[in-house]
Amino acid sequence: MLRRTLAIAVKELLQLRRDPRTALTLLGMPMVMLLIYGYALSFDVQHIRFAVVDQDGTRPSRDVAQAFLQSGYFDLVSQGRDPRVLDALFDSGRIQAALVIPSGYGSDLAARRSTTLQFVLDGSDSQTATTILGYARQIVGSVSPVIRKNARDAAVAPVPLVWYNPDLSSARFLVPGLLAFILMVTSVIATALAVVREKERGTMESLRATPLVAIELLIGKTLPYLLLASGAATGALVIARLLFDVHVRGSLFWLAAVTLLFLAASLGWGVLVSTVAETQQVAFQLGLLSSMLPTFILSGFIFPISSMPPALQVITHIVPARYFLVALRAIILKGAGPEVWWNQAVGLLVYGAAVLAVATARTVRSL
Amino acid sequence: MNGGSSQPAVVARDLTRTFGPFVAVDRVSFEVRPGEIFGFLGSNGAGKTTTIRMLCGLLAPSSGSASVLGFDVATQAAEIKRRIGYMSQRFSLYNDLTVEENLRFWGGAYGLFGAEMAGRAEWAVVTADLEHSRRALVRSLPGGYRQRLALVAALLHEPPIVFLDEPTGGVDPEARRRFWDLIDELAAAGKTVFVTTHYMDEAERCHRVALMHAGRLLALDSVPDLKSVFPQGTVVEVTCGRPAQAMARLEELPGVVEVALFGERLHVVLGNPAVGASLARSLDAVGCENATVRAISPSLEDVFIHVIARAEGEAA
Amino acid sequence: MGDGGRGSGAGRALRTLVNILIKELLQLRRDPKILPILFIAPVIQLTLLGYAATTDIKRVELAVCDLDRTAASRRLADRFTSSAYFRVTANVDSQEQFDPLLQSGRARVALTIPAGFEAERSAGRPGRVQLVADGADAMSGTIGLAYAATVLQDASVAAGTVPLVSLRPTVLYNPDLVSRNYMVPGILGLIIMIMTMMLTAMAVVRESELGTMEQLLVTPLTPGQLIVGKLIPYALVGLVEVFTVLPVVLFWFRVPLRGSFLTLLLLTLPYMLCTLGLGLFISTLAQTQQQAMMLSAFVFILPQMLLSGFAFPIQNMPTFFQALTYLVPLRYYLVILRGVFLKGVGLAVLWPQALALVVMGVAILGLARLRFRRRLG
Repeated sequence: MLRRTLAIAVKELLQLRRDPRTALTLLGMPMVMLLIYGYALSFDVQHIRFAVVDQDGTRPSRDVAQAFLQSGYFDLVSQGRDPRVLDALFDSGRIQAALVIPSGYGSDLAARRSTTLQFVLDGSDSQTATTILGYARQIVGSVSPVIRKNARDAAVAPVPLVWYNPDLSSARFLVPGLLAFILMVTSVIATALAVVREKERGTMESLRATPLVAIELLIGKTLPYLLLASGAATGALVIARLLFDVHVRGSLFWLAAVTLLFLAASLGWGVLVSTVAETQQVAFQLGLLSSMLPTFILSGFIFPISSMPPALQVITHIVPARYFLVALRAIILKGAGPEVWWNQAVGLLVYGAAVLAVATARTVRSL
Repeated sequence: MNGGSSQPAVVARDLTRTFGPFVAVDRVSFEVRPGEIFGFLGSNGAGKTTTIRMLCGLLAPSSGSASVLGFDVATQAAEIKRRIGYMSQRFSLYNDLTVEENLRFWGGAYGLFGAEMAGRAEWAVVTADLEHSRRALVRSLPGGYRQRLALVAALLHEPPIVFLDEPTGGVDPEARRRFWDLIDELAAAGKTVFVTTHYMDEAERCHRVALMHAGRLLALDSVPDLKSVFPQGTVVEVTCGRPAQAMARLEELPGVVEVALFGERLHVVLGNPAVGASLARSLDAVGCENATVRAISPSLEDVFIHVIARAEGEAA
Repeated sequence: MGDGGRGSGAGRALRTLVNILIKELLQLRRDPKILPILFIAPVIQLTLLGYAATTDIKRVELAVCDLDRTAASRRLADRFTSSAYFRVTANVDSQEQFDPLLQSGRARVALTIPAGFEAERSAGRPGRVQLVADGADAMSGTIGLAYAATVLQDASVAAGTVPLVSLRPTVLYNPDLVSRNYMVPGILGLIIMIMTMMLTAMAVVRESELGTMEQLLVTPLTPGQLIVGKLIPYALVGLVEVFTVLPVVLFWFRVPLRGSFLTLLLLTLPYMLCTLGLGLFISTLAQTQQQAMMLSAFVFILPQMLLSGFAFPIQNMPTFFQALTYLVPLRYYLVILRGVFLKGVGLAVLWPQALALVVMGVAILGLARLRFRRRLG
């Protein structure tokens, strides 16, 4: 059985070798994409397009405006005294936030009267808006003098410490997610056409005449791609280390094991797609649809699974990248051992087995 | 407008096409007369398909020139396409459409609509013997019917010339025969038919045949004239129980120009008819008793082999 | 006869186009697997993903270690327990116990109230607490810290420490900061892009692979006619898809449509022109269907997902990439979608995006036509 499987694997490998474009693409794409998007993407909110409407015009009002600008997060786009310009600026997207300092601000402050600054935000992107609001609060909090009504109970001051990702750089958070996403898409695309092509070309017929068993065919077809994908994943991890400072805190061995498991599962999904589709066109569409958007959104890459409605959290279990990502982040960023993420590995195992079983069942029918 | 019968339908002068270092078509020159069935005979890879694609405006010549119905293939391809019919080697109608839908589409591509289209569609269906399969999906039709459909689809807009590239590939002999009956009808109606084939028996049904080999045009003539390359009686057929040994023996004999094996039979080309008498004796010596030798009229295949051998001899 | 000259030029061109259209639609109809993919998949995708794509972090998992065990420390801990921002998942006795909790993700923020907390505050000094956030999940971490800061500030205010200057925020367009209102239109744009590009990317290559392309090329049909002929039926399919998916956006997710429905439709057209055109262009580049698939996924779809501003704000990108995003049609369409849905603006504000899309669309189709011609050898 092993020999027959290997025979198919060798044939597939030879065909791949004659199609260097495909092989190189599959090998190199993940690395290239990680390179590009690792640099491009970030959650850190900066260069906030900002307007100041200073209706007071005193030294304190200028001070508070300056505090915003000096924080480094806000880029001044417009400055003036008339708040009516804000509408158009927000509508056109030219600004995201605006500080309106009421007249009398300076005198209120001098007289130790409490006063209020108005901060207008574009709430469309709630995540960015929340962050901007957080910055604004921080800045105003640091600028504002504090009065204590009660000599006894003083303020509570937080001393924040961040573990695992001390500067909260979103790169370290993003890169594993990006990796999982890219690898998933690459794997599915690699294999989604694998079996269909044989069907369309008619070589399935000749395969039927051999003593080949369905499972040998499928595994044999997947092996070369597993090889390629592993190479790609390794390259990508190296890039992550060198360029994005993503050090693997945990064990490399477990990292390799989990990655291999994930690759097998995602390749398996691609093979399943190719057994369901009758034409390359449908295989393409199914493969793309089932891998791109779901992995993008349901894997925990960007949107935290714990924030999703419970029903949806259950659904995320059909996305293999979900398991991989938890384990990946745990190993890379937290240095966690298998006792922490073993259930993810089991999930991947079960997924891979299930996918292989269905694909085999479908192929048996046509063999 | 398309010229009277005096103008050649197709003219090729030193037509050449290369793909990198590979010369697919090598300085081919010929003329096709209107109303004739012009055959392009050659084995696979001889350059037939490449030539046809150049003539149809699908491929640009690397050098040389050609014209179809007076229009230059390199600069006036659009004009040519309107006036020709083409049937490619590979089946190229839509398998997932019905017979009718295919006809309507391809007719429409040539500008046929409405009543005129209906009329031509009717003609097509009757001619191809598909009256009862109008609504059938093309992929459900047997091979022979599909070929006929492709042919009539190419003729919907009544072009004066039609190019057929190996139109009978993979079709049973009966269907092939009927297909060629159709071609005969077309020629009788005045259409020019340019057809490539590797079947010798089909080539025999052409008015004139061009022999292509390795991109070069080796011979061009009417079938009888082609065969006259062998003087009367110089081609004999030898049957013998041990063809391989016989062949080896015969090739050594002086007076034997060529020997070709056809299954169990040998076709021998003699230097002159008199040699035929001595063949049987030579064969006895190799243990071929009961060998029969009889003169036959040469087939195109014999001509073909002879011409190729001669060309290769010249090249060597 | 036989020279294709029938009827007036314009009438003929139109009929030819209709002819091609009919063929494409017939072919689409005949493939049984395609129909559910085309019309059901988008709806399912939007529904599922609309729920999933939320950045509203609720109820961050919190672990508390109270080393003071005084009334004051308990009061503070209670603030966190009763806060809607947090869900206390563990109360531990020592900070060492934070480790496994944070590692496994059972806690994303850990609060330590050190011994002496109450004593400090009674003495008039600020009471310091320690917050540890799981930075591996940067989003929850940052937001967790922000939430904690808010709770602590409230604690300060309640204790009688009031800042002189307070900030009153006014949130425009999305007052409840519901991330769904922002994400769901974005997903709509993504889905349209993927569906339409998928359709056309295969369109031309398939004809080549099946052999009908050669037959098409030998007819009088011009490359322009063939391209438009492929464009229109898929545009129609795309529009139908939009119509099937919009109800989910409007009535299921109740994303407010503050602008005009007509504007939305109108501005969707140039976007579809771009995506369909891109698909066709890919189709003329690829020689096999597999190449078409890889090309469209890696070079056209993936970049648009990541660089269009859907999940990653463009302004956060390095300048080089920001410049690159000007080439991404989805970027403009997202502005349009969010503008029409959330801001209620119309063509008067969105005309630059509309113009950009039209220009891109025409350019892409021109490129496709050029490539088409080159295929003629």
